[in-house]
Amino acid sequence: MTDSEAEVTKRRRGGARAGAGGPRYPGWLALPAVGWYLLFFLVPLGIMAVTSLGEIAEDSYSDIVYSWTIDNYRYLWDDFAGDTHLYRDIFLDTLKLSVIGTASTLVIGFPLAYYIARYAKHKTLLLFLVIVPFWTSFLIRAYAWLILLDPEFPLFRALGLSGFVESHELLNTPKAIYIGVAYNYLPLMVLPLYAALERMDWSLVEAAQDLGDSPLRAFRRVTLPLALPGVLAGSLLVFIPLTGEYIIPVILGGNKTFYAGNLIAQQFLESRDWPLGSALAMVVIGALTIVLLVYARVLGRQERYG
Amino acid sequence: MSDEVTIWEQPVSRRGFVAGTAALLAAAGFGRLGEEAFAAGQRLDADGTLFYYNWAQYVNPKTYPAFTKATGIKVKKAFYDSNETLFAKLKGGARGYDLIVPTGYMTKILIAEKLLEPLDWSKLPTVKKNVDPKFLKTSDDPKNTYSVVKDWGTTGFMYRTDKIKERPTTWKEFVALTKKYSGKTTMVDSSPEVVGSIATMLGYSYNTDSEKELDAVKKVLLDLKPHILALHSSNYDTLIARGKAYMGLGWSGDGLLLAGKVPATYVVAKEGGEIWIDYYNIPVGAKNPDAAHAWMDFVYRPQINGLETSYTYYGSPLKRSLLKGTAAGKLLTDKVVFPPAAVVKRLETNKVTPKGSRLRERIWTEFKAA
Repeated sequence: MTDSEAEVTKRRRGGARAGAGGPRYPGWLALPAVGWYLLFFLVPLGIMAVTSLGEIAEDSYSDIVYSWTIDNYRYLWDDFAGDTHLYRDIFLDTLKLSVIGTASTLVIGFPLAYYIARYAKHKTLLLFLVIVPFWTSFLIRAYAWLILLDPEFPLFRALGLSGFVESHELLNTPKAIYIGVAYNYLPLMVLPLYAALERMDWSLVEAAQDLGDSPLRAFRRVTLPLALPGVLAGSLLVFIPLTGEYIIPVILGGNKTFYAGNLIAQQFLESRDWPLGSALAMVVIGALTIVLLVYARVLGRQERYG
Repeated sequence: MSDEVTIWEQPVSRRGFVAGTAALLAAAGFGRLGEEAFAAGQRLDADGTLFYYNWAQYVNPKTYPAFTKATGIKVKKAFYDSNETLFAKLKGGARGYDLIVPTGYMTKILIAEKLLEPLDWSKLPTVKKNVDPKFLKTSDDPKNTYSVVKDWGTTGFMYRTDKIKERPTTWKEFVALTKKYSGKTTMVDSSPEVVGSIATMLGYSYNTDSEKELDAVKKVLLDLKPHILALHSSNYDTLIARGKAYMGLGWSGDGLLLAGKVPATYVVAKEGGEIWIDYYNIPVGAKNPDAAHAWMDFVYRPQINGLETSYTYYGSPLKRSLLKGTAAGKLLTDKVVFPPAAVVKRLETNKVTPKGSRLRERIWTEFKAA
């Protein structure tokens, strides 16, 4: 360690101490948050973990026997590793939906957030408009697209576009699912992106350009790295709920494309097999945990070096 | 185009929840109403209210005010779109509903799961007097401890007579035409109906739980999947009414309703199919079982039952002679609402065993994921 490095380290430590020396809050203030977390996250998670180790009693439609068996997981493992891989395909489709959905909200959301943060005069109004759709129920918004994608939608009729839309039949196809996803999840992407871009010191970009960077290069070397925490946060906010998405495929996709969310809902509702449903949910949670750990690592590195 | 029913004037599915309704409610600024129907609130009301948890559009709107006028009991409504949703709610601990309407197989499951309250037959004099005896002591509830029949119907298929020139009468033809007019067939989103119907096509029982037979059913279904437009219990018939689909696998009442709107017909397939009965049950935790009894007894009045039948197009459990001169009078000769004995004979009720049910769910998952 050179002297200057040691100096930096020392200063950082000192900074941390200074931070801890701020106003102290009594620990019990955290109780509501901890209680909430225990009651509505850890307890249900525990119940689900236990249920996933049970099985449906022979000759019963839904009675759960808590037999502490790993049969459900073994069944899923056999499927993932075996020749039939029914569930594996459903999970891969879900991954595809989540990745494409996240990517499309990012592609649409970034320019929007960029515009609002850097150029817009009425930032509050525009942000407000981004959030307004959230005042309506998710379901209602999904149903609204049934009308918007219909060839007989009055606007299409008025513009003489009914035939064109008809020939590109969207409803009850995966295309409609992707449109619905991009629309419904957009605000979750725009808000963190905006938060990151809004904090940005635009004179840095100007400095880069003054020093000879083209606008594109300045964007790549200055704006993008500074916006990265927002990109990551937005991507997570969209990606995680998308892995459980099941309403949009039902309403807009004709209910004939099957994702992990639909599969889990089916186990709990139609199949009345809560143990298998719980095991499936645990697998999804496990996979997401891995994604989150990777995220934490990337972000951690980002904060250290970035 | 002009003869099509557009989304703005689509017919209403009697048993399903109509997607369009929610959308139109939203469009009309009644988003809250739509949400409430979905949320099916669990708060309990004071005496004098009947909390009726039912299929959407399954009660003549005129019956509610008539009931309130006759008994002073107000009706609070919540809706479900499948027996499975109803079951999951009750099993999950939702309480406070006074009256529910499951299909026979689900009533049987609810009895086995101890999720129903026994009836007090002394409070059902009109039911006792007017019910057709063949709707007592059914196999779902042999002693009528828990249930009174609401109505009954069949599962078959419907098609647009103006869109296809063929006149199918069998499941085999239905399947062949589904492939011919690819992407023009809808089905209810319900494994018993779809799997069972294809089983009868192959000459098996609607309720088969043989692995070999169900495997054959699966092959047919997987082969059929790319040709299906949508699987929806709620708007499968709406899509047909709007000309988006030409054929649909579903329930008799929906088929008749469709035929009333557009050139279409409903068929009980030659090979057979399902005959189902929906029951009135009182779930455990009911706050006002007296009100539930009052409702059952009220709708067994011939005039009221006629109103119901003329609205849902499903078979009435009352003695036929009592319905003459009611709103349902002219339906008594309708072969879809009241199929002749020869047709009923080739139909089966849903009696799927736990084993069969498990095998079917696996098929259903593969079918949907295909």
